[in-house]
Amino acid sequence: MESRDRQVDGRMKILIVNNMVPFLRGGAESLATNLVRHLRRYGHDADLLRVPFRWEPANRILDEMLACRMLRVNNVDRIIGLKFPAYLIPHPHKTLWVVHQFRQAYDLLESGHSHLGNDPTGQDLCRSITAADNECLGESQRISTISRVVSDRMLRFNNVPSHVLHPPVDDAEDFKPIASENYIFCGGRINSFKRQNLLVQAMRYTKSKIKLVVAGPPDSPEDGKQLERIVEKHKLHDRVTLELGFLKRERLVGLVNHSLACAYIPYDEDYGYVTLEAFYAGKPVITTHDSGGVLDFVTDQLTGRIADPTPESLASMIDEFAENRQSTQSLGEAARDDIHDRNINWPSTVQRLVA
Amino acid sequence: MKILITSSYVPFIKGGGTAIVEWLETKLIEHGHEVETVLLPFVESMDNMFDQMLSYRLLDMTESADRMIAFRPPAYLLKHPHKILWFIHHFRAFYDLWESGYSGHERTAENHAFRARLMDTDAVGLRESKHIFTNSQIVSDRLQRFNQIDSEVLYPPVLQPERFYCESYEPTVVCICRMEKHKRQHLLVEAMRYTRSKARLILAGKSHSPSYPRKLKLAVLKHRLQNKVQIMDRWISEDEKSQLLASCSLAAYLPFDEDSYGYPSLEAQHARKGVLSTTDSGGVLELVIDGQNGLITDPDPEAIAEAIDRAIDNPGLAKQLGEAGPGRIAELGIEWNHVIDRLMAA
Repeated sequence: MESRDRQVDGRMKILIVNNMVPFLRGGAESLATNLVRHLRRYGHDADLLRVPFRWEPANRILDEMLACRMLRVNNVDRIIGLKFPAYLIPHPHKTLWVVHQFRQAYDLLESGHSHLGNDPTGQDLCRSITAADNECLGESQRISTISRVVSDRMLRFNNVPSHVLHPPVDDAEDFKPIASENYIFCGGRINSFKRQNLLVQAMRYTKSKIKLVVAGPPDSPEDGKQLERIVEKHKLHDRVTLELGFLKRERLVGLVNHSLACAYIPYDEDYGYVTLEAFYAGKPVITTHDSGGVLDFVTDQLTGRIADPTPESLASMIDEFAENRQSTQSLGEAARDDIHDRNINWPSTVQRLVA
Repeated sequence: MKILITSSYVPFIKGGGTAIVEWLETKLIEHGHEVETVLLPFVESMDNMFDQMLSYRLLDMTESADRMIAFRPPAYLLKHPHKILWFIHHFRAFYDLWESGYSGHERTAENHAFRARLMDTDAVGLRESKHIFTNSQIVSDRLQRFNQIDSEVLYPPVLQPERFYCESYEPTVVCICRMEKHKRQHLLVEAMRYTRSKARLILAGKSHSPSYPRKLKLAVLKHRLQNKVQIMDRWISEDEKSQLLASCSLAAYLPFDEDSYGYPSLEAQHARKGVLSTTDSGGVLELVIDGQNGLITDPDPEAIAEAIDRAIDNPGLAKQLGEAGPGRIAELGIEWNHVIDRLMAA
């Protein structure tokens, strides 16, 4: 059992409520287990409830919402809900720390990316989801989200204000500016929403001798092959290194710490630990105007560069970093100062969540 | 194989019902399976019990794993085409306790209807299971009697039985289990008034409230048993437990009408110690046979005292009862390889 750093007055039994898909673990899952661990460190009894959720076929969603609504929890002083529909579970003392809502019913519906938008049944379902969310938001004592993007959406679609509480990086102290070697690093899961393909394409247009390292697990084999094909087609072998697959944490930390700068250009990301890790390591970040939560952190020309989501625009930012080492380094130092000034750490996060 | 283990639970409460789930997960992983455990909350309240049961029913686990092993009610209502039950108890207040009059529910027409509806709902989950195992003959008998369903007894082993060992047969009797009224440590304290041998009694275990241990301590003082009885009313570590068992002559476990043999009896047998129990202890009697691997007496302090004296005055008897333990465990198939074989064959 974890040692208790200090005993708080008013020790509580706190149940973290999250979704789960059997045999899959994602970012929200590690956020949930870290939260449990840190609540225990600060003297609370904490446990994680994982409610199974499968959103396909869509007609299951209603059943699953109803299931959550009819579950009962006793012997718990407070619940902290992270995701739809698990956070619908009733409890008289509910706090939300929303990782994301069910986006298919909100922004993705609006932008035409939702599988629920095409027929009246799907549209009805979206209305039910909104109604359930509204009711749940209304009965919660305190509502936080993990990023401004998530808060903005909630305000827009549910008309409910919330606090932004950025999740801490668990091993922040391992990230530090060790060297500035001649490569731009892009880490994280590899898929079409993360758009690593744009970065690889950008390397066709760069004029400097800088290299690109893309490392992480592809969501599907095809996601990895797509990048390999671009490298092959444009003969970028000596400019681009692909490290496809799950990376040991030490390896990832090393790649960040030794890079010149990092690039992270997801489409409308909710949050993105990758940005924080780069900043802790004193690396500026190249991102794009439509990268969502990344823009909570990156300020153009101050802690990174904000490009258009095109290979050409990205290439010019990469060249800028490569050709002006001095200014790249000072952007990195500013990024490091910025992330430390934000005080994103577990003690203050726990304090705000249980306040 | 991908295996889903499911059960209901009350957050922050650990007990036999949560241990069996954790242990099975550990052993299935050791056997090379991929395992995911889903524990869902449940509140046994007549106000909204059917709503909660419907919640379980609405969660379709079909595509999530090759098979599902379900434990506490109402986990058997979760949908899965290859559902195996390891059934450890009914909602007893509406089954056997209802008949005994101890259920706490009045026998109104409304409650009768509620009970009938509960039984119908249970039948759905039970009947669609591929195979039903239970943790004791008592539970199997109840399934037969109340639900007319056949089942197979599959006795639950403890995790890592090899941590229990036998060092000596000192003149002590230990009772290591939760310190609660229905575990009846008070009968043991009372018995120590009548023992004539040099027997000492050690009671060890945590209580959910201080009142029962206080009563036990008062009884010790009242009968001036301070030199004969030691009470450790706190959480006992696994190491402490195996040490206490290693050097005693007898391990006492005399709950009132328990469903299964209870891990304390099994642990004692792994430590090669005879079990002292009583004729009304229920499932304990499925494991312990009087004079073979333990001593069974009437639930009466003087009879218990007599049994204690017999074992303490005759170290050969204590040793003989203890050494029969491992053979009895093997005879009942209380062993993980057997459990996994059966669960995976079904």
